[in-house]
Amino acid sequence: MTLEEIKQSVGEMFPNVDLELSMDARTIVTVQGEVSSWQQVVDIGHFLAKLEGVRNVVNELTVKDLVIPKKDYSAFAEAGRKKGVIRKADVVIVGAGVSGCGIARELSKYDLDIVVVEMSDDVCTGASKANNGNIHPGMSVKPGTLKAKLNIEGNRMYDQWAKELGFALDWCGCLGVVTDERLMPAAEMVYKVALINGVVEPEMVDEKRALELEPNLANRHLNIIGGAYFPSFGQVESYEVVVALAENAAQNGVEFMLNTTVADVLHEDGEVQGVLTDKGIIEARYVINCAGVYADEISAMAGDKCFTIHGRKGTLAILDRHCPPEFNSVVMIMDMNMIQNQKNEESKGGGMCRTNEWQMLLGPSATEVPDKEDNTTTPEDLAYAMGTSSNPNAGYKDIIKTFCGVRPADYSEDFVIGMSEITHGFINVGGIQSPGFASAPAIAKMVEGIVLDDAKDIKRNEKYDPIRKPRVAFRHLTREEQDELIQKDPRYGRVICRCEQITEGEILDAIDSPIVPTTIDAIKRRTRAGMGRCQGGFCQPKVLEILARELGKEWTEIHLKDGNSRVLFEENRKGGAQS
Amino acid sequence: MKKMQIDVAVIGGGPAGLAAALKARKEGVEKVLIIERDVELGGILQQCIHDGFGIHRFGRRMTGTEYAQTFIDELEQTDIGVLLDTMVLEVTKEKVIYACNNKDGMMEITCGAIILAMGCRERSASQIQLMGYRPAGVLTAGTVQRYINLEGYLPGKTAVILGSGDIGLIMARRMKLEGMEVKGVYEIMPTLGGLTRNKVQCLEDYDIPLHLSSTITKVHGKKRIEGVTVAVLDKERKVIPGSEEYIACDLLVLAVGLIPENELSIGCGIEIDPKTQGPVVDEHFMTSVPGIFACGNVAVVFDLVDYVSQSAEIAAEGAAAFIQSAEQSSPEYVSIVPSGNVNFVVPQRITAGKETEVSIFLRVKKPDRRGTLDISENGNVTQSRRFATLAPPEMITCRIKVSGEAEVVLDMKEAANG
Repeated sequence: MTLEEIKQSVGEMFPNVDLELSMDARTIVTVQGEVSSWQQVVDIGHFLAKLEGVRNVVNELTVKDLVIPKKDYSAFAEAGRKKGVIRKADVVIVGAGVSGCGIARELSKYDLDIVVVEMSDDVCTGASKANNGNIHPGMSVKPGTLKAKLNIEGNRMYDQWAKELGFALDWCGCLGVVTDERLMPAAEMVYKVALINGVVEPEMVDEKRALELEPNLANRHLNIIGGAYFPSFGQVESYEVVVALAENAAQNGVEFMLNTTVADVLHEDGEVQGVLTDKGIIEARYVINCAGVYADEISAMAGDKCFTIHGRKGTLAILDRHCPPEFNSVVMIMDMNMIQNQKNEESKGGGMCRTNEWQMLLGPSATEVPDKEDNTTTPEDLAYAMGTSSNPNAGYKDIIKTFCGVRPADYSEDFVIGMSEITHGFINVGGIQSPGFASAPAIAKMVEGIVLDDAKDIKRNEKYDPIRKPRVAFRHLTREEQDELIQKDPRYGRVICRCEQITEGEILDAIDSPIVPTTIDAIKRRTRAGMGRCQGGFCQPKVLEILARELGKEWTEIHLKDGNSRVLFEENRKGGAQS
Repeated sequence: MKKMQIDVAVIGGGPAGLAAALKARKEGVEKVLIIERDVELGGILQQCIHDGFGIHRFGRRMTGTEYAQTFIDELEQTDIGVLLDTMVLEVTKEKVIYACNNKDGMMEITCGAIILAMGCRERSASQIQLMGYRPAGVLTAGTVQRYINLEGYLPGKTAVILGSGDIGLIMARRMKLEGMEVKGVYEIMPTLGGLTRNKVQCLEDYDIPLHLSSTITKVHGKKRIEGVTVAVLDKERKVIPGSEEYIACDLLVLAVGLIPENELSIGCGIEIDPKTQGPVVDEHFMTSVPGIFACGNVAVVFDLVDYVSQSAEIAAEGAAAFIQSAEQSSPEYVSIVPSGNVNFVVPQRITAGKETEVSIFLRVKKPDRRGTLDISENGNVTQSRRFATLAPPEMITCRIKVSGEAEVVLDMKEAANG
């Protein structure tokens, strides 16, 4: 389509808005103007991106009477410029989510000086944290997209990741059963897409086979007409994966700079020079942009506006173990109700699954938000998440935790991965939303390929060790093993988190890491302390005490999470329980 | 693994556990053991430095710590075993306890009887579907109490309290006394969640406003809480449009209910009453697993510690009798059924075929100026009790005589005349 044709097409679709459109040689369309609602911003972006011949959309629309929050980098930039060059590296990776940490680990196989820069206090604090930990088989991605390719490849690589990195991976499988004739074609379509994409061993099932796979389905007394089964559906705890990747990368020499914000990407004559952060300038040959919801802004800093992230938030709910999952696999019972519940056409949202710790996990919802950091839960989004449950015993009364994350979606709704055509050495890894987690190993491989192709002169890191020892989980041991462990290390005899049975030994083990967790939430993600039904009501003071003691800090210096989130303000009685 | 044989093991060293252990020993039980997860005895009373404890039992107003110390002092004069800093991980139907600490490792404790006295926990932010951000500065009232009273730290300067449960009211006063600003107490229900005496002594005496039929619709602040949106609710508990108001604060205290901690009980298959969220118990506070008893806030959330101790002593008598008796199976029961304005009653059942006098504990569904409790068997009212100023937060207790021949119905009616 030519620009004129695009303009005409948009004009017909959105007759009452005044849009300014331009298109560059790469067929990236930029749209500007003012519209009446955020939904319209998103709709126009999606409409343009779907037009034939449009590669992607830079959406700079504004909304009448709505302030779209924008991150102000000026203070960070000023602070950094004052400090000047603080470090010379080969590779700077911006963002320590699953993409950034996966790439860091992959590149640590080579003789490269790698720095990961993360604005938060810890790895895995953005979209990589707040998702449902599904390792998707690849049957719900559009054939021919980069997403489809990397999802399939990534899924097949997870066994190796789990083995090397020592995280729990459960190939629980996904079973969709159809109870309404009208939905059978939809199930068949999913199966066909799975075949086209190359999903591992998809299978059409009849009632008998469905009940064989999930005997508990019989309790539902459904009229099962048919369905499809995908054995390569896996479940992980997402933060466990990212922490493992980061720790292994650090073991292999990668430096992690936390609490560090990239304020600019330095480039000259089409070559990347490094990044300006609030801690100073880091010079580098390659800058890899894994900045999640901020990836479009980082790319723009590199002089390459080629996509726009629109945040799509998702609310999830975790239920008490008293209301356990009915099924081992992720079971989707497809009826008309369920189809109507899928309100966002770009993302089906998540469904009813379960954690590897055997809790029901519901959601996420899919709601477009103008603020990329808007991870607020709302009654509507929670209702969506709860509505994905088909378990007759589960309800609001069983919720122990609701949380929310923001997906970094771009308008092509595909991954944006590649060396910048504008600024050489700058590599985008943007738009990594679902199935980003499943795709992560393949994304890491792909970026490795991009760097190797470009650099050509890279030697291997002779000391590279892909193995990261799994951490001990006291709760998973037999009583005899627990006894043995305590005899060896008495710190495992003190249970700190009563709900999840997490010991002091596990917390100390988590702190004894190349990437030191310094906040209550960082400990929670690594150990599960505070993740149970009391949500830290009892163990938070104990975890706080351990953190203060181990890090040599005052109690008032311990934060819940990143930024200014300290738990305690001041001492009111000198020498309370500590004395 | 260390193996032990105990006659009566008490899980929890709070007011229930202490009273149970002492009573069991007095009843002649030889080997009594308290297993406590904290480093000190006393349970939650350790952080209850306010008064109002012990009025029924000791006839005077004591602080929580004084009340607990009275029992601890008595305990020190006995040979009752105490394991501190020890977590019970599992209780089995066969009355075997698995517990661990950093000195003994894992212990397998085989018991003649077990008394569950683990207390309760607080409802959390997600459980009440608190919406908005999840910043630092949103804490349950008990956690705030621990930080301020026990650890010696203030978790904020300007507080809003959601829920008018007793700990919330107590903490409103405490925070005010610590020099903090308390903007108000917001209660979703049209009635108070805690005791009236606490409203008078903790809110009214300190000019802290109470907002009934109100709730918090949004928490603001991405990292540390910056404020809350409060709103007024209609009769259907829906937000009245336009009633929303933003209130700046740096601490949100949740006093939104207590839940008996019954993970161990559920783990060994004990039947739970959905109303009390505690085990179904008989007149000895024995659960559905013979030889395992439940008392204090594990059985039902009491509002007075005096009743906690009382229930513990009943359970201890039962446990002592249980290990001394040859009969170790579950007896036949007749139910005690709540009716009318009675929400629930503990015990939920009594031994069949035995004429007996039982202490009962009940709560009403809704407030009433007065009410008559009719106790009937086979449709005949056998006894009646009159009560004044009924309210759900104020537990009612009395002793009733039952024949054990038939189901007992407890019916609270509005008093007929005058």
